Amino acid sequence: MTKLKFYLIILLIMALIFGYGSFFYPHSAARPEGISLQRPSKEHFLGTDDLGTDIFAQLSKGFFISVFIGITTAIIAMFLGGSIGMVSGYVGGKTDFLISFVINLFLSLPQLPVMIVVGAFFGQSIGNVIAIIALFSWAAIAKVVRAKTLQIKRNTYLHLAKSYGASFFYLFRKHLFTEVFPLLLINSLTVVGRAILQEASLAFLGLSDPLTRSWGLIINKAMSFTGIYYTDYWQWWLLPPVTCLVLTIYCLRMIAREAENLIIGAD
Amino acid sequence: MAKNIIAFLMLSIMLILAACSPSQENVASDQFNLSTLKLAGGTDWGAPNPYLHDPRGPGTAKMKLIFDSLLEADEEGDIAWLAKDWQIEGNVYTFTLYENARFHDGQPLTTADVAFTIDYYKQFPPVTNYLDVDGESIVERYEVVDDQTIKLIVSEPMATTLVKLGSFVILPKHIWENVSDPYNYNEAEAFIGSGPYKFGSYEPATGSYEFLANGDYHGPKPVTERLLFVPVSDPLLAFDNGEIDLTDVPIDAMEKYKNNPAIGMIAKENDMGYKLLVNMESFSQFKDVKMRKALYHALNREAIVEKVFRGSGTVGSAGYVPPTNYFYNENVLKYDYDPTAAAAVFADQKIAVELLISNTADDVKVAELIKNDLNNVGIEIQVLSVDTKVRDEKVLAGEYEFAVVGNGGWGRTPDYLRTLYSSKSKFTGSNPHFMGPLGYDNELITELAESQLLELDFERRKEILQELQYEISKEVPIVVLATKTTYVMFKKDYYDGWVKTYDYQQLEQNRLSYVEKK
Repeated sequence: MTKLKFYLIILLIMALIFGYGSFFYPHSAARPEGISLQRPSKEHFLGTDDLGTDIFAQLSKGFFISVFIGITTAIIAMFLGGSIGMVSGYVGGKTDFLISFVINLFLSLPQLPVMIVVGAFFGQSIGNVIAIIALFSWAAIAKVVRAKTLQIKRNTYLHLAKSYGASFFYLFRKHLFTEVFPLLLINSLTVVGRAILQEASLAFLGLSDPLTRSWGLIINKAMSFTGIYYTDYWQWWLLPPVTCLVLTIYCLRMIAREAENLIIGAD
Repeated sequence: MAKNIIAFLMLSIMLILAACSPSQENVASDQFNLSTLKLAGGTDWGAPNPYLHDPRGPGTAKMKLIFDSLLEADEEGDIAWLAKDWQIEGNVYTFTLYENARFHDGQPLTTADVAFTIDYYKQFPPVTNYLDVDGESIVERYEVVDDQTIKLIVSEPMATTLVKLGSFVILPKHIWENVSDPYNYNEAEAFIGSGPYKFGSYEPATGSYEFLANGDYHGPKPVTERLLFVPVSDPLLAFDNGEIDLTDVPIDAMEKYKNNPAIGMIAKENDMGYKLLVNMESFSQFKDVKMRKALYHALNREAIVEKVFRGSGTVGSAGYVPPTNYFYNENVLKYDYDPTAAAAVFADQKIAVELLISNTADDVKVAELIKNDLNNVGIEIQVLSVDTKVRDEKVLAGEYEFAVVGNGGWGRTPDYLRTLYSSKSKFTGSNPHFMGPLGYDNELITELAESQLLELDFERRKEILQELQYEISKEVPIVVLATKTTYVMFKKDYYDGWVKTYDYQQLEQNRLSYVEKK
């Protein structure tokens, strides 16, 4: 079994477990249904938080919220970064200069502080969190795609196709996109993991919708319970979301790395 | 050579470790009992002067460490502070100042400063305006008898007149007479007062404050050379590490400390409370008392006590004043959790509301429980969570639909019923005790709330306040959610001079906690 498959299987297992927690598990992730701070039991697999809400149900919902945020952000970043990078590389000239300047500007900004300011300005909602993270994720993709486009542009077959009257869309569909896509995919995969982590950071800092069940917010709530370290509660309230977050990010990173190896190897 | 390098490295590591380890630098200084007393900071409560501090308790308390008032309060009653003596004859309150009272810049504090302050506050009301009742100064005029004696003549004696006259802080005339815009005046001189502590430093970004003992103080000696409010990530860990000397004890960590003979603990019973405000200007259907009572029935307030306060508190009294308050009326109407009855009232009304809260952990938890309860009875809730100051500003400006507000001071003599419920007095100050029901007026409640203030007979005043609570419980213009009992702990062998006043339980906000006791 390749490493890629191994990490994919781990993610799949997590998806199955949390899928059960989201759709078949008898407890709600939103409503307190139990006694506060119950230990893990058959009734509540990972116990309850201070309001009596089931933690496994929250984790399960949090998985899909995190994955949704990660994938949506990656798609937006992939679309934005891919198209801007290709236009910049293909058109060249002043357009390239201007786009490159904007790309470098976004890459040089310290992301988290700016995200905090923008997040505080726009308000707390999942949509805003996705928009903010996407805003800071496209530039890295665009830079890589631009470089690849410049490289492809120098190929003689492209010049030949152009001399035969191939339109931009034909060149884009037949040559540019097909060659850039694997690179785009790998970079977008890394965005998924980073977006999940950034959402968790923003949520932890209180810049996400305070009543959603993202992992960052579960961690935030557990840690704002004063004296949690002097009790046993951290074992079932804090440890599981942190473990899930680390495991998911790690798997996504490894998948991106293995995919890169696979594609570079194939090249 | 190698040995020397190893020895040098070992020594360096030991020195670094020694520097990093939490230390009680806190031994007695030459002049004061302690060199440093540290409390948890981290929140910006404004610059500590009468015009720049935050209106909430911690902001006022910091300002009052620097700026003195004529009187103070201990656990028994009012005590001398800047005034060594006071007499009341009808409308005339005569105060005699200590001869050796001085401002921090060495200038003597005289009755000219007191008189100037009264006039100045009429022109430029401070953040906490003790002299104001319903937008008017209670001091009709004054007579300066000599440098130490001043007569303050009030238009009408009230139950709280002495407390009010004793509480306003005195400005140095020689500084402020040249200041035409006190709200933007933050020069070094703006922090010169006559209190037991001098201004050291203030860092708004980190919520850090430093106060320095006033060695020339005319009154009780400051206990510590430096009083610090320092930012900490986890107050309990900071307390254990010796980074702070006093902190709240969470109920779940109580076991660990309560049998420790070195730890002192003091309860602040039901002094912190939460209420749900309904903007009846925007939602006029709540002008119908049936709707407001249905809100009470819809909310499982016991769950707030059990889950958010971890059982340490009481379900809110519909008459507002908590059961542990001396003025509490046990006959106020009570409203049980009855979601079926509430749902019947709200059925088919399709009410959708934005619930404004502050982003503190307790507020978010309270909001979560409210949201679930109200959803269950057919009210849609969208939660808007903002910074505490923004929430307070929005509530004072009436920019909310429903709002959760938590604040301390519920254990005080409940003149706050006047500033909350009287149509004349509500929204005349910036403190949460002025955040009353918007779009709601009631003649009887206003009359009772105002008349208790004018009643000088203590027992009769108590009766009026109890009658007022009963009327409030019938009308329920505000949904009183719950009151919370908190516990603070401190290391007895280091410092145990923490005291409440007879009227206020927040001992860390009491300046008597920071001076030597008789």
